[in-house]
Amino acid sequence: MTRYDSLLEAFGDTPLVGLPRLSPRWDGEYPVRLWAKLEDRNPTGSIKDRAALAMVRAAEADGRLTPGCTILEPTSGNTGISLAMVAKLRGYGLVCVMPENTSIERRQLLEMFGARIISSPAAGGSNQAVATAKQLAQQYPDWVMLYQYGNKANAQAHYEGTGPELLRDLPTITHFVAGLGTTGTLMGTGRYLREKVPDVEIIAAEPRYGELVYGLRNIDEGFVPELYDDSVLTSRFSVTSYDALRRTRELTEQEGMFAGVSTGAILHAALSVADRLASKDPADPSGRADIAFIVADGGWKYLSTGAYSGSLQQAAERLEGQLWA
Amino acid sequence: MAIEVKIPTILRTYTAGAKSVEAKGDTVAALIDDLDGNHPGLKGRLLTDGGELHRFVNVYVNDEDVRFTGSLDTKLTDGDVVTVLPAVAGG
Repeated sequence: MTRYDSLLEAFGDTPLVGLPRLSPRWDGEYPVRLWAKLEDRNPTGSIKDRAALAMVRAAEADGRLTPGCTILEPTSGNTGISLAMVAKLRGYGLVCVMPENTSIERRQLLEMFGARIISSPAAGGSNQAVATAKQLAQQYPDWVMLYQYGNKANAQAHYEGTGPELLRDLPTITHFVAGLGTTGTLMGTGRYLREKVPDVEIIAAEPRYGELVYGLRNIDEGFVPELYDDSVLTSRFSVTSYDALRRTRELTEQEGMFAGVSTGAILHAALSVADRLASKDPADPSGRADIAFIVADGGWKYLSTGAYSGSLQQAAERLEGQLWA
Repeated sequence: MAIEVKIPTILRTYTAGAKSVEAKGDTVAALIDDLDGNHPGLKGRLLTDGGELHRFVNVYVNDEDVRFTGSLDTKLTDGDVVTVLPAVAGG
């Protein structure tokens, strides 16, 4: 059934699509195959619709959110856009605290949905956005901060949605790869798969930004999301803008998938693992792998960054100082 | 054995502003000791008093987080690239 009463019902259940060209060994007795979960097929075009809707529903259920309330959230973009859509349909106001070095498309989308944007300095990255939002929450106690970095409903959305969908569509799954931001996708999906699939590997890809984004004054200003539990992961990769862009372009050129830059980082980590396994003897059963990874969003919101034009080196330089995940 | 170590901006006061330095060691722990010999004080920024990696410090060997590859016992070989980064928010 693909008919829904409202856009809020039409999320999740995204397609899982094979990558026969980029997989190291698609056929044979012990293949090493890559599968993309197309989360750009959600209502506002990103995986964050799952978390946004789950956090709003949880806050409504426990009485924190009542009609006419204003939601406050630190976000580099996608969570804000998802929340803006949900807030509009459920009758809430939305204030997003967003680093000023995020793409113009994200701002335009937020404004179109009626969200108010408070910019935080580029030099502080998302860390500064989180700090600013926490200050605002104290100043305006009637605003409701859902706080994606520590909200259990964020991870739960993936425990109940993304995880079961993956296992249903790929019962032979051996690896799951996703981006590490709030950590909600990896924590929720990872916990579910670990309960159901012995020896499944849960792999994180995190963006390695340009120097500007690491403009902390000292190490103690660092940030680890409250949701994060490293016992859920089996490995974690830091991916440069250059590698993320390279893989984003390969995904379009070889498999026809037009994804955002963070998906390139996720694919890079997935291929690191896949290539390692494929280097084993093809007759070795331990080399078999079905690696599912997340396509977090489409490329549309990043066109203005120049990520898709010119040489890779030029594009990577243009992304320097931008938040691309 | 020469290993390139990339240093984040906030720790470059210890490396006279250098973005990357060379160090030796067959494990991450040995590498950090060697680094501290040439850049005194750096070890104290990377490790806690208990000798564990600081909560807000991430160390990667060839882009892979050492917390998942044996932590400070992670083996190093010639030509590896070690990257030190502060933990920051994403999302």
